[in-house]
Amino acid sequence: MSESKPIPAGHHAVIPAPDHELDAELQTKRMQINLGPSHPAMHGTVRLKVELEGETIVTADPEIGFLHRGFQKSCENVTWNQVLPYTDRLNYLSALMNNFGFLNAVERLMGVEIPERAQYIRVVGSELHRIHDHLTCVGAISLELGGFAGFLYGLEARELVMDRVTELTGARLTTSFGRVGGVNRDLPPGWIEKVLKTLDKVKELAGEVDALLTKNRIFTDRMRGTGMISTDDALDFGFTGPCLRANGVDYDVRKAKPYWVYDQLDFDVPIGSNGDNFDRYLMRIEELKQSDRIIRQALAKIPDGPVILDDWRIVLPPKPEVYGTIEGVISHFKLVMEGVPVPAGEVYDSTEAANGELGWYLVSDGTGRPYKCHVRAPGFPILSAVPRMIEGRMLADLIPTFDTINMIGGEVEQ
Amino acid sequence: MSDKDKPVGSGGSRPAEGAPTTSPAAKVGSEPSNPPAPPTATGERAGHEAQPASKPPAPPAGGPPPKPAPKNPGMVTFTVNGLEVVVKPGTNMIEAAKQVGVEIPYYCYHPRLSIAANCRMCLVEASNAPKLVPACQTPCAEGVAVKTDTFKVQDQERATMEFYLLNHPVDCAICDQAGECKLQDYYMRYDAKPSRLEGQKVLKNKRKVLGPLVVLDQERCILCTRCVRFMAEIPQEPQLGVFGRGSHEVIDVFPGAELNSNYAGNTVDICPVGALLNRDFRFKARAWFLSAAPSVCTGCSRGCSTYVDFFEQDTYRYRPRENEAINKSWMCDQGRVSYKYLSQGRVKLAYIGRGADVREATRAEALKELAGKLAPLKGKVSVLASPLSSNEDLLASLAFAQEVLGAKEVFVGGRPSGAADHLLMTADKNPNRKGLEWVAAGLGLALRPFEELSKGIEGGKIKALYAIGAEVPVDAGKFAQSLQKLELLVVQAINENAITAQAHYLLPATPHTEDEGTFSNLDGITQRFRKAYPGQGESQPHWKWASELMNELGLTTRYNSAREVFRALSARVPELKSFEWDKNAPPARERGGVRPLPTGADGRPMGRREFGEPRVRGI
Amino acid sequence: MSNYALEKVASRYPEALDERYVDRAGDAWGVVKPAALREVMALLRNDPELQFRLFISADAVDRLNLPVPTPRFEVVYFLKSLKRNEHVRLKVRVDEDHATVPSVAPIFQGANWWERFIFDFYGISFEGHPDLRRILMYEEFKGHPLRKDYGLRERQPLVPERPIKDIFRGPGTNGAQ
Repeated sequence: MSESKPIPAGHHAVIPAPDHELDAELQTKRMQINLGPSHPAMHGTVRLKVELEGETIVTADPEIGFLHRGFQKSCENVTWNQVLPYTDRLNYLSALMNNFGFLNAVERLMGVEIPERAQYIRVVGSELHRIHDHLTCVGAISLELGGFAGFLYGLEARELVMDRVTELTGARLTTSFGRVGGVNRDLPPGWIEKVLKTLDKVKELAGEVDALLTKNRIFTDRMRGTGMISTDDALDFGFTGPCLRANGVDYDVRKAKPYWVYDQLDFDVPIGSNGDNFDRYLMRIEELKQSDRIIRQALAKIPDGPVILDDWRIVLPPKPEVYGTIEGVISHFKLVMEGVPVPAGEVYDSTEAANGELGWYLVSDGTGRPYKCHVRAPGFPILSAVPRMIEGRMLADLIPTFDTINMIGGEVEQ
Repeated sequence: MSDKDKPVGSGGSRPAEGAPTTSPAAKVGSEPSNPPAPPTATGERAGHEAQPASKPPAPPAGGPPPKPAPKNPGMVTFTVNGLEVVVKPGTNMIEAAKQVGVEIPYYCYHPRLSIAANCRMCLVEASNAPKLVPACQTPCAEGVAVKTDTFKVQDQERATMEFYLLNHPVDCAICDQAGECKLQDYYMRYDAKPSRLEGQKVLKNKRKVLGPLVVLDQERCILCTRCVRFMAEIPQEPQLGVFGRGSHEVIDVFPGAELNSNYAGNTVDICPVGALLNRDFRFKARAWFLSAAPSVCTGCSRGCSTYVDFFEQDTYRYRPRENEAINKSWMCDQGRVSYKYLSQGRVKLAYIGRGADVREATRAEALKELAGKLAPLKGKVSVLASPLSSNEDLLASLAFAQEVLGAKEVFVGGRPSGAADHLLMTADKNPNRKGLEWVAAGLGLALRPFEELSKGIEGGKIKALYAIGAEVPVDAGKFAQSLQKLELLVVQAINENAITAQAHYLLPATPHTEDEGTFSNLDGITQRFRKAYPGQGESQPHWKWASELMNELGLTTRYNSAREVFRALSARVPELKSFEWDKNAPPARERGGVRPLPTGADGRPMGRREFGEPRVRGI
Repeated sequence: MSNYALEKVASRYPEALDERYVDRAGDAWGVVKPAALREVMALLRNDPELQFRLFISADAVDRLNLPVPTPRFEVVYFLKSLKRNEHVRLKVRVDEDHATVPSVAPIFQGANWWERFIFDFYGISFEGHPDLRRILMYEEFKGHPLRKDYGLRERQPLVPERPIKDIFRGPGTNGAQ
């Protein structure tokens, strides 16, 4: 806390006499306040110890860990497929992206390629949850800057997306969808049409949010030029995703290192220029439209075929085989009890999640459980830069800054 | 990790020199439906074998080419998957391949049994044979290139597995072997294909009781005949045989006979599948819930090395642990079922008083009161020691008896003697009689037979008795009656019996599974055993009771572990002085700090209850 | 993939890399000597040809239960070059007894929190780190939970509420018991 002038607690700051009597500054003292850990604007449970000089933030020190669940330790003690429920709870607004990102890394470590239809399903699921994540983020920005209507529109659209995700995965929030080798369930009948209708409605509602906020004077005044970070700092801190692109850096894992079928789909990566809250907000509004494009293309192109590998060493056999044949029951037993035998080795692999590069560093020792399961949550480095973004700025800027970086306690605090 | 990622001479990536003799004749009929040539006794003959088949029509003059000179004199040098192996002549390929980390699968092979080569799982490609050869039966020959990862071999393994599973019942869910079953392991490793069976499986007897300890599920049996060979060769009691033909072949006992050998339990251990099951253990626990601690059997003075398979604070079974010097890979059935005293009828609390006045006490309470009683009786207390206690227990307790109680002699208790047999079981049913003799001699205490104690009590000469262990070689009930005369009877006991009922002070002691320590068997071999779980109830080891009593009586010596006891006192015992307590420790039971969790989620791979690889060859 | 960057590191600092290898997925790794870590990082970041400017993440591995258990810890670093569009994967191996690695926080500000994370969960300390303290666990926590010898179900005692001196909380105990 201590770069600033040391002022003994309880003493008034010594302020030099002003030139003009009418310019006399209010005698003040520095104040430390706690934001959080239980505060509606502190997404999740971050405690921010802020030192204020009047309304100006002198230092800010984020204290995290209130939502720490021992993600890595838990993962090291369960089989590879059992890790999935833990990944749901990283970024709980876009669980599918965490599920698929993890599975993608495991499959890369094993050196298997999943069927094409499964790749399309993963793209559709990921983009649905990207929409879901961005809608929530934009809605929350609106709410916390005083615009309840934008929040309600955002959430209405979000609920529609959630319903589609529920139909696909069976769970509203914690999807645990996908398995090593593909996805565990095919698209439900009639789902594609429903999704297309949903996208129409989401587009309409997102348009409403856009219209309510983007040119709203009150909104832009609080967003433009606040929470700025320079491009150098952003790179240095490890910004990725919309927050980095708001600085004008063109880095999107989907384009830089295309995985699944992203290279066969036509979409743009929006790029900002200022690196402030407003640009970060705009990136999300724009990505909503791009995700919409991706899903429509993917649903049009999705081929027929299996959704999961047909290899009983990796994937559970069909249930009739399990109940009826010894081959099936052995495979089922071994896969459930010992886990998928991922060969010994290590891999770092990443996908583009809603907030940026979701990286996985996995180490296998050849047994059915991860030896090490490092997750590079995109929110972690971004949160570490919050002091840099708000020190010297007004306290009121903290709220939009915290909103636009879209800090998710679940992924930051593991 | 990185060290694994590197291509450390990965097998098969580079072709071995002098790879298979691929003459057309060798290629035709590669299907190894017929077994290859009869077993060859020496490397020399194996080298000759390939000659007639692959000989080209225009041989160079002078008969077969000379045998290649051995690369390493006196040894055989050849390659497995391109890795060079040097072994003694006559070593079979399975053992040789193990040296370079290449695993050849097998069911029927067992390093301590004769070779049957009937499971066909270990067939590998050798450069000096036109067909696949069984690795268990084929001795290594100079310069041969053996390959275990070619398509031909893999195809054979897959086909073999498919045939094994053809008639195998869908039993994993109810099978005791699940989780430690070779069929499961090899299916995942070498087959992993769906069933192609059309129609019914062959039905056989699902629960044929073979004897008092063993039950057979003939449907699960793969006819590897390990059990038949074991019974014929190791205990030399050929009670099992193969009956019938073709698909209806079964393992069985001879009509009217039963599998009642004292070594029948070993057939369960060596059965690679869930066919032979232990009636004592069956349906008691799932294999993946059990942890294993390296231990020693306490059934007799042989001291067979064992694994104690336990869950939480209960032992579920003993399994033999390999020990070349004592029990090889085997143990007897009486020892196998002798684990029951570890959990049944235990003294779990300290008790003060006898008869109607008996009351429960905490350890501290009991110690305090007992110390007060013992202090004035110095030199008047007789000591009874049980050879069921470990060396550490005896060292500390006898040192206490000598220094604090002023004892000059020790009466020997212990279980009564029983029958011995021709292989492992001895007549003395106490695991540590040798240790007791050594320790007493080392400390300068005279050992007195139990009869003298009985006479002394009957005659009223002995008024106070301190018993380390409540086992006596005579009828406990009768002996207990004479104990009523005693003014003070202190008993440290594992199990309740008639003697503990007479104790003025009954202190709960632990058996060997609940603490570390050593036993010395009848041949004078000292073995370490590991702690499996903490003491049940309030019980604690004899050495700890001794140490705490010493402190209570004003001595400052304090022992915090069995290791400390051994370090401090073994110097006085010449036979134990040279035993390196730390070095001779078998690996600890499991990875640190991990307790068994449901769904096998405790971090150990299934079927590997032991730390690392199981240390029994051939399972 | 990122062989070029490692090539360059190796040619510039021939002593810096203990080992280079390619993992199962085909990605190149460089094992850096702890002493040379900062030089290598600075080169990767500042070399105009490489420009590994984006600090992706860092973590550690406890090798206790691996076939090769020594040196006990591996600290891994991932950097991304937008210019070359590739990641570079580096690791540093340290013993349990001298579990100290030079901090790269002076070079990459993003390393600050990751190093605190490693310190918190593996007990590896970083020399020259501006603010090395626990990040997710609380100060009173004993041990380092991601070490392999820390039990899955180990429990730690509840800690009393810390007295807060510089915050006036109104009537009450003010944190003191």
